[in-house]
Amino acid sequence: MSGAPVLELTDAAVRYAPDALRLDGANLTVRAGECVAIVGPNGAGKTTALRAVLGLVPLAGGSARVEGRAVAAWTREELARGVAVVGQREEPAFPITVEDAVFMGRYPHLGPWRRPGAADRAAVRRALERADVAALAARWVETLSGGEWQRVRLARALAQEPRALVLDEPTASLDVRHEMELFELVADLVQRDGLAALVVSHHLNVAARFAHRLVLLAGGRIVADDTPRRVLTDPRLSRVFDWPIAVQVLPDGTPQVYPERRPAAGPAIKESR
Amino acid sequence: MGREGERAGPESGDLTVRSHTDPLSGGLVRLRPGGFGLCVVALTACGPQATRTAAPFTDAWGRAVATAPAARRVVSLAPATTELVFALGAGDRLVGRTTWCDWPAEARAVADMGNGIGPNVEAIAATRPDLVLVYPSEGNRAAVAQLEQLGIRVAVVRQDAIADWRGTARAVARLLDRAAAAESLLAEFDRRLAAARAGPAPDSPSVFIAVGSNPPIAIGAGSFVAELVGLAGARNAFADLGGPSAVVSLEAVVARNPDLVLVLGPGELAAEIARRPGWRAIPAVREGRVLAVDGGEFNRPSPRLPDAVRALVARLTARSAAGPAR
Amino acid sequence: MKTLSRGGFAAALLGALVGAALLGLGVGGSGLDAGEALAVLAGGGDATARAIVWELRAPRVVLGFLVGGSLAVSGAALQALVRNPLADPYLLGLSGGASLGAVLAIVAGVASLWAMPLAAFVGALLTVLAVYRLALAAGGGLDSRVLLLAGVVIGAFAGAITSGILSVTESVRVRSAMLWLLGGLGGVGWTGAAVLAVYAIPALAIVVREARALDLLALGEEPAQHLGADVARTKRRVYVAASLLTAAAVAAAGIVGFVGLVVPHAVRLLRGPAHRGLLPAAFVLGGALLITADAGARTLFAPQELPVGVITAAVGVPLFAVLLRRLATRRLA
Repeated sequence: MSGAPVLELTDAAVRYAPDALRLDGANLTVRAGECVAIVGPNGAGKTTALRAVLGLVPLAGGSARVEGRAVAAWTREELARGVAVVGQREEPAFPITVEDAVFMGRYPHLGPWRRPGAADRAAVRRALERADVAALAARWVETLSGGEWQRVRLARALAQEPRALVLDEPTASLDVRHEMELFELVADLVQRDGLAALVVSHHLNVAARFAHRLVLLAGGRIVADDTPRRVLTDPRLSRVFDWPIAVQVLPDGTPQVYPERRPAAGPAIKESR
Repeated sequence: MGREGERAGPESGDLTVRSHTDPLSGGLVRLRPGGFGLCVVALTACGPQATRTAAPFTDAWGRAVATAPAARRVVSLAPATTELVFALGAGDRLVGRTTWCDWPAEARAVADMGNGIGPNVEAIAATRPDLVLVYPSEGNRAAVAQLEQLGIRVAVVRQDAIADWRGTARAVARLLDRAAAAESLLAEFDRRLAAARAGPAPDSPSVFIAVGSNPPIAIGAGSFVAELVGLAGARNAFADLGGPSAVVSLEAVVARNPDLVLVLGPGELAAEIARRPGWRAIPAVREGRVLAVDGGEFNRPSPRLPDAVRALVARLTARSAAGPAR
Repeated sequence: MKTLSRGGFAAALLGALVGAALLGLGVGGSGLDAGEALAVLAGGGDATARAIVWELRAPRVVLGFLVGGSLAVSGAALQALVRNPLADPYLLGLSGGASLGAVLAIVAGVASLWAMPLAAFVGALLTVLAVYRLALAAGGGLDSRVLLLAGVVIGAFAGAITSGILSVTESVRVRSAMLWLLGGLGGVGWTGAAVLAVYAIPALAIVVREARALDLLALGEEPAQHLGADVARTKRRVYVAASLLTAAAVAAAGIVGFVGLVVPHAVRLLRGPAHRGLLPAAFVLGGALLITADAGARTLFAPQELPVGVITAAVGVPLFAVLLRRLATRRLA
């Protein structure tokens, strides 16, 4: 079950332009042992919410806390020891091997001077295995496929041995198997190791399968924050996504959404039903 | 007064055997060295001039330059030429000089035309000269062409070595119609030079002639300063250098162990150089055998050359007499 | 794939340095060979031999080590800072500013030994400051693309003024200026080496302290932040330190090219990109390279001496081509 709050936004507002609020009055809590997914249409402010929680953007109002402390009170290194982030895009400027890349996950623990020890090397090994990239350890990162690189970055996040995971579109380049594997891994980390996980995803269905709670964002405001079953309803989704969306329920109670085809204005391409 | 054709100057072989072409036409005839000793009187196509003999001469770029009419308004684009014009008694005809023309003092009163290489053609043309004396540098090709197009008489004269200078003195004198002055100038020059070399000679010390200190640049053979040093009875330690000057490694200087280091510049420069790192490895520097010579007469051939030689001889013999401890 | 173990690589590097030092001490226009030079170091030799070794060769070896090392480290740091493998120590308009300073000193006719190094140093730092201000004014946080552009712009501006000044200066001075700018290790002697060390050592310490942050920065600014780097602080510190290293090196030796560009890549290829090892290795390799280049500059066309920048370019370009080939073949692996 869920424990103490790890990542919190209280009434947070973020302003990018004088009269435009990117995020308005956002309340968000992610507890240990809990997986929360932020979903919503493009431009709703999902990534902004992530940045706000991590203290990467100044707040125009409200507060952001990590493990009960204001995020501004954390040094970046301290924060990196507790929270691991896998962003959307990353491109190293110089050639680097997978193993060296994952090893950089230990840097928050090493500081500028400490030499790596057996514990660090063991953490890297474990991370490589859990993310299923151990076989790629000697490969050069630039030779990897998009999906492989994403898993390597997840391995790096695991090497940080964090208490919270923040993932921004982690499965964008992954096929079905790898997407499911990644989410199964996150679920395992949350359940077994008690991590708090905050995931931004476009993939409503996968999020619905794995997240304890869904936070639906639209136009900078949180429209719904509840279990997937309660958040994913036809009228609400259709309104928020501005497209007719229908919801079906799987045997185990998980809701799955599918978008409807637009009713044909001209001659139909093919007859249905 | 204008019958110079028969005397072959140091630019020998440049006697003309045909009439020159009008300088207004861009394509000057290149007159190849004909025989020698032939004196051909040729009437120029310059219109109703006096029928003096006025054989044109070939300048340093092989161009034929008319020697009549005598030049009345002269622009000199090299310090050596300015000095020469004054020495020929025609300083009042100068209407333009370069920024670097510093001798004689009267030269300062002449209008400054700027650089001698890559000159400001408009400024020169504005003085309405009838003769422009140009230094033979590649950077002046365009300027010479432009001046020709404007119909201005241009003579490219070389004065890097003493032999050049004598020939140029005569040539410029022809252009100024001051041939007699040139002859007496050269005669006087030879007399004073012989006198300067007549006294006790220093015992042929080897000299490292340094013009730059960082990095060190040595003067080789084929430059005026090297000639000057030779005339003063010394040997150039770097006479084998490929060109007139080159950057040398200090170790090479140490290896050649010159008796004397000659620095072109003011006395403070010599003291400064002696203090520079690395130079103390040269025995001559360690033992204070550094001479500084400064002034235009050491940089370029001029009527003052005999004075420069005399000064140099004096300092060299003083050093030999005083021994290496100086 | 690393071709050598860590220990093997370090040994090879030190061997290269010792070899270069022996070469630098053992060759020169006077015919003194390495054996005699070593004898002098041990305390013997006549006055001339001692003068040659202590006044001429040894200072150049030490200076070559410091200048080559400073340039290599500065180049490596700047490459990470702007995330661009084509960066070199003169990236941020430094060469333009140093040239301008030096030319002004020459044209002003200041004869003192220290006038030109000082002028080059001040010129370099002033341009760095100008680039810094320009980049900040363009909007937040020393963005690497803005830095690059500002450096190019200001460097070009300084270069244009330098050319303008040279075009109206008398030719002897112009030649002096150009020769100094092409780079040489003979100008400043032991004192110059000491002054360079005074600047280089603290600057080096700053850069090495940020070594891990530079590793992270190479991934991108956001990933670096997520992994604990204080990006703004690292950029500031490395920027200042690299500028100091380059400015001090240029003041001592003029503008020596290619060392700062090629050496970091060579070390990356042989050893990997982690800066904790890359930076010291680059220093040693850069130093060895410059000592060797200087030995060549002094002896290839004896008694004439070439500017050392000519040798580093002549060697650096084919070396760079080889590196590019290796990089390319590795991409296919």
